[in-house]
Amino acid sequence: MQKTIVARTGNEAVAEAMRQINPDVCAAYPITPATEIMQIFSTFVADGLVKTNLITAESEHSAMSACVGSAASGARTMTATAAQGLALMHEILYIASGLRLPIVMADVNRALSGPINIHCDHSDTMAERDSGWIQIFSENSQEAYDNLIQAVRIAEHKDVLLPAMVTTDGFIISHGMERLEMYPDEEIQKFIGEYKPAYNLLNVENPITVGSLVLTDYYMEHKRAQHEAMKNSVKVIKDIGKEFGKIFGKEYDMIEKYKIDDADYILICLGSTAGTTKVAVEELRQEGMKVGLVKIRVFRPFPAEDIVNAIKNAKSVAILDRSESLSTQAGPVATEVKAALYDAAINIPIKPYIYGLGGREIYVEQIKNVFKSIKDLKKTEPVSYLGVKE
Amino acid sequence: MTTKPNIKSWRDLNIGGVIESGTSEHFKTGGWRSKVPIWQEKNCIQCMNCWAFCPDDAIKVKDGKRAEYDYEFCKGCGICAEECPKTTQAINAIKKEDPNIEIDSWDGAENPKFREKAAILMVSIKEAKEKFGIK
Ligand code: SF4
Ligand code: SF4
Repeated sequence: MQKTIVARTGNEAVAEAMRQINPDVCAAYPITPATEIMQIFSTFVADGLVKTNLITAESEHSAMSACVGSAASGARTMTATAAQGLALMHEILYIASGLRLPIVMADVNRALSGPINIHCDHSDTMAERDSGWIQIFSENSQEAYDNLIQAVRIAEHKDVLLPAMVTTDGFIISHGMERLEMYPDEEIQKFIGEYKPAYNLLNVENPITVGSLVLTDYYMEHKRAQHEAMKNSVKVIKDIGKEFGKIFGKEYDMIEKYKIDDADYILICLGSTAGTTKVAVEELRQEGMKVGLVKIRVFRPFPAEDIVNAIKNAKSVAILDRSESLSTQAGPVATEVKAALYDAAINIPIKPYIYGLGGREIYVEQIKNVFKSIKDLKKTEPVSYLGVKE
Repeated sequence: MTTKPNIKSWRDLNIGGVIESGTSEHFKTGGWRSKVPIWQEKNCIQCMNCWAFCPDDAIKVKDGKRAEYDYEFCKGCGICAEECPKTTQAINAIKKEDPNIEIDSWDGAENPKFREKAAILMVSIKEAKEKFGIK
């Protein structure tokens, strides 16, 4: 296959993937740092490179509402947003997943206000972790591009039929220029295939009611069905990740394991920090410390089993959360990893950290210190802040 | 005689709760009404404003003409009365819980006393007498 190697920012890579996916409808509203995605995509629309019906809505709430209407009408539908935009979509995100509409969204991770901030953390995505969307984190532009293409297949799979968001770290990935391997348009089209919607609101031959009232009698059964779809998605995500690897050369899974086979100390994180951690792992291994990384690629559904199997032989584990749930326990990643370990009756000392809020830089040296901080860890510690001004 | 309830498992539900169309016909929602619109056929100029504006489907059409309300579905929003050209005096929407005439259900709209009251409230008592023959 003829791959084209280009230099692209994360936003450009996402826009290119959208061009190649060529969705029927995009409804969006601009917001930093995601604005560029739709701005670039709109030039593709204007130049006739895609057949997409681009709807410029008056808010994110309207954008997601238009996406719901469009997807319910059987159209392959995409959008992009960030932070406050995602928060404004909140109400409709649940409706999209409840109606089982496979909308695919690019979310550029940015801190939720306030105080007002435009830089990266995961608070926007984590705030939607219970919204019934599949959540896929990307380490760099290449992964954002690859993930978005796979997300279409995953979301539309008949055993899943759930919306999916693919996230990139604001500015770090979205505005950072990187090497990107692009695949031919026709290969992407072949991979995603034709969209066969589960139902179609505009089919006058078979009129249907979408979004009817479900009270005490069946609401719970619908949630149970969504739960099952989420469970089903694990196999689908793995299968599609493997298939993607066979065709395009890079395999994907729920998590990525980096040098963990003989690792005594493992760090868990997601997004761009995984890249920084890989450098720290290399440097520490040269110093003789057996360290490794578990990168969570898919946060929803939560890959509890995979994580437990990956870390169960470690002496201790550090977990980095790039969002504050203000529970005073730990961030969402650490909390869920701990729950997974409890279910598996495994008691490994954990040191949870909160870092990088509002775009606070994270350096290789800091991550090396995190590894060193768990060297003699005897029991699980309460959450602490990394890189905060004391 | 007892009938076995038709209970479905979560496995058997339609995806996303999608159901066949037209199910609102099974739910008689007229009971929500707080106002009752009353139509005076002889004053009606058949402009069909009320029919076009009714957010439900409570204004019936027969032989291409405006017909009686379907009180089983009319929610008493009063939009039809607002949209009816004021010069015609063809619709009035009055409160259904009128203590003087003890109307408290949708079929109360059929009560002649209630209709009379609606007519009187629409215009002056003098006009009501002339126009609608109210005593
Ligand atoms: S009151 Fe409202 S619902 Fe009833 S007929 Fe008039 S417009 Fe329709
Ligand atoms: S709006 Fe008034 S005049 Fe026009 S059709 Fe309806 S009742 Fe008759």
